[in-house]
Amino acid sequence: MTIITVNGREVEADPARPLIDACHDNGAHVPHYCYHRGLSPVGSCRICQVVVSQGDMPPRVVAACRTPVAKGMVVNTEAEAAHGARKECLEFILKNHPLDCPICDKAGECSLQDNAYAEGQSECRSVEPRRELAKRKSLGDVIVLDQERCILCSRCVRFMEEVPQTPQLAIVGRGTHSRVETWQDQPLSGNYQGNLSDVCPVGALTLKDFRFQARVWNLRKSASTCPECSRGCSVTVEVLRDGPVKRIRPRHNEAVNGYWMCDEGRLGFHEREQRPRLAAALLAGASGLETASASRVIEVCADLISAAERPLLLASPFITDEEAELLKQLSASCGARAAVVIRDTESADADTILRTGDPSPNRRGLTEAGLEALSPAAAAAALGEADCALLLGERSAELVGFEALCALPVKLRLVLLDSYAPEGEIPALNACLGIPDWTERPGTWTNIDGHKGQLLPARPAPNGTRPLTATLRVLASILAESGTPTAADIAEEATR
Amino acid sequence: MSGHETYLLDRTRTAASHTLEVYRASGGYQTIERVLKQPITPLEIIDEMKASGLRGRGGAGFPTGLKWSFMPDRATDQRPRYMAVNADESEPGTCKDRVLMEEDPHGLLEGCLIAAWAMGLEGVYIYIRGEYLECHRRMQGALDEARAAGLVGSDILGSGFSCEINVHPGAGAYICGEETGLMESLEGKRGPPRPKPPFPAGFGLWGNPTTVNNVESIFNVPFIIERGAEWFKNIGVDTSPGNFLCGISGHVEKPGVYELPLGLSAKTIVEEFAGGVWQGRQLKAWIPGGSSTGFVAGSLIDTPMDHNSIKAIGSMFGTGAMVILDETACIVEASLVLARFYEHESCGQCSQCREGTQWLTQILARLESGAGTLEDVDMLEHIAGGMTPGKTICALSDAAAIPLQVALSHFRGEFEAHAGAGCCPVTDQSKVPVTDQSEVKAQP
Repeated sequence: MTIITVNGREVEADPARPLIDACHDNGAHVPHYCYHRGLSPVGSCRICQVVVSQGDMPPRVVAACRTPVAKGMVVNTEAEAAHGARKECLEFILKNHPLDCPICDKAGECSLQDNAYAEGQSECRSVEPRRELAKRKSLGDVIVLDQERCILCSRCVRFMEEVPQTPQLAIVGRGTHSRVETWQDQPLSGNYQGNLSDVCPVGALTLKDFRFQARVWNLRKSASTCPECSRGCSVTVEVLRDGPVKRIRPRHNEAVNGYWMCDEGRLGFHEREQRPRLAAALLAGASGLETASASRVIEVCADLISAAERPLLLASPFITDEEAELLKQLSASCGARAAVVIRDTESADADTILRTGDPSPNRRGLTEAGLEALSPAAAAAALGEADCALLLGERSAELVGFEALCALPVKLRLVLLDSYAPEGEIPALNACLGIPDWTERPGTWTNIDGHKGQLLPARPAPNGTRPLTATLRVLASILAESGTPTAADIAEEATR
Repeated sequence: MSGHETYLLDRTRTAASHTLEVYRASGGYQTIERVLKQPITPLEIIDEMKASGLRGRGGAGFPTGLKWSFMPDRATDQRPRYMAVNADESEPGTCKDRVLMEEDPHGLLEGCLIAAWAMGLEGVYIYIRGEYLECHRRMQGALDEARAAGLVGSDILGSGFSCEINVHPGAGAYICGEETGLMESLEGKRGPPRPKPPFPAGFGLWGNPTTVNNVESIFNVPFIIERGAEWFKNIGVDTSPGNFLCGISGHVEKPGVYELPLGLSAKTIVEEFAGGVWQGRQLKAWIPGGSSTGFVAGSLIDTPMDHNSIKAIGSMFGTGAMVILDETACIVEASLVLARFYEHESCGQCSQCREGTQWLTQILARLESGAGTLEDVDMLEHIAGGMTPGKTICALSDAAAIPLQVALSHFRGEFEAHAGAGCCPVTDQSKVPVTDQSEVKAQP
């Protein structure tokens, strides 16, 4: 490490990284458009100008993203000359920018907008007509390009070249005729296109999926982990007013996904958001499943397990490490077989960037917890051998398969704890209880490399659901006492 | 003044001067033969080049010998190394390298070979401006002849030294004459200049050590090695020795390319060589060394044409390409012509250059039409100030802004006279006042 001075404070800086990183790492604000930590630096937007002095050389204004860190360097990001140079540069960048922030999806999270408010001049000195280019050019299924908003930072071009390594975008034309295009207007392909809207510092590249869906300042953002594969990319779940998930974006995590995520992970939430939720406690009665209290369902469930000779606890691979721990305790308290449904890894779905092809986000955590792994077919067979089964976890019914569940003998006492309602009536089903999905509960998933990914609730769980952890705790405590639980026990556990 | 010693253009006066036969008849390729057979060591050549004080003729005037010495030591760095000869001569006003390549291509090749020996180069690329079709044809013809004669390729003249020379036509972009843009273009890519550092001597063509030299600089090399640094230093002035090719154009009686010693006064060049300002008119302004160096007041025409003297009057020697404007010329219009050029040629990667060149053009067009205001003149100054100095990756932004700053410092009154004039007060060709653009509303 090299010692340099940033805004009067001596700090350690990595000599392999450009000066702008040392500024950012030490709390100095340096705006940047073309620079992105995950991409190679080009130094073309020129907004990251800071004042540097070194040895006997007089202080000079430099672009921090293309200046190597050198021993003894003294950096001032707040010098008048730095502010002046950045303000000057900003005026050039805004010269042809359409300033259509009120209708721009990026507004509210646009670094050009933020910087213009912070440092720019309120008055526009350019009276000339602005550049007129394509305003909504489709670049395929995922991305729309607004060439007028583009400030030609080339982050998107570099992203395509450097991350998925499928160069598809280029800057064509010279000078003010420059614009981002694909070869002969062909649509973009590949599974990482969504990142383009993240790297775009302005509203030039937007997600078709998110366009006009929400104002970003109305979104509540929570850290979470992607459920689509065992990579478990760190993500941010963005929810509109406690309601629907509107957007999922990668969250920087050098140990897992860097700055990126795949489109499957980014857009996969739609399919789940559309599924009917299981948000009720139901018990088999004279006229099929009837609404009951959650306590009653748990009571019945405990009775069924304690009366069974061959009880089975079958979990989905979406349960968290914490839920798995409680599942093991429950299994120990009642002697039930505990297993988890694990689908095969599809090598066709894997790539060399992030995707593992393994659809079980917590496979490693669950197998390390010692739970027996069963394929969906083996799980169905295990259900057939049991006399009482608790099918638990988000998407557990889906993973065993609706048809397989319907084919189970009616004498099997089946209880379902799932986030989603089964596709139809399952004859063997004795009781079911809704649970929160991955956006609604806290927990930990262990990814393919052993990294612990956190889930945090991004929104409240629907009424009628009950956290799986609470249910497992109650069941374990009831069955450990191997006596009939009292209503008071259950109420106490439920409030934990 | 006449009868000064010449050497650069001497051979071009012979018929078929571009052929190997004629070149050899005048002693051509004897220097490289002597260098290889004697041999004169690479270090001796670089020292001789340093001692000669030759300053690069591509515009910046950087000492050529010093530039060569920046190439990394072969003992510690085994990467292949290259030279790119910058023949992308595209600056408005500059037309000197064209004469050398068309009339004396073998002279350039011999210079390349000596440079290749001195720096241990694996390859030399001569990057020729796309529009210079005849230059390309002649250089390629000369290269073919030289290769057939065993002067280029492997084991040159039986010395064991090998060097490939390639001639590469550009595709018509001024920015590819910027040394790093040129390298990008040679690599087969678009030619936006690369940020420096890293510098070409460490990370050039395909990431290998590279030096980029102008045609005229390399053309001087065989003469310096043959006749010695002392001879060379006796020509010109101490700080800028040697002869230079002065391409003079504009309002003169005899425009053309003249071989002149550095340090000759611009007035002498105009009056004694170029036949004076045409049609007996008065001199109004002149550009010392290509469009990037700006319009200097006619009253400064006594200035000697050498790097330091021209720098002292706030301009640059550049490529020594003088452009003369007579009293009827409008400086605003001339500035507009140059601004259009830079707007057209900006690669567009740096914000200041991409937007600034357009903005300057727009304001100059408004002023020239007579619809501008006094604030526009201040804006020109302010915008140009935002584009320079050294605020961008390459010097094109400076090249666009500095001439305007120079023009404003010498001719501010003329710019201001255009404000609100309704038409150009100098050329006044249309006599029709244009619509008052101040009514046009600002963009929201």
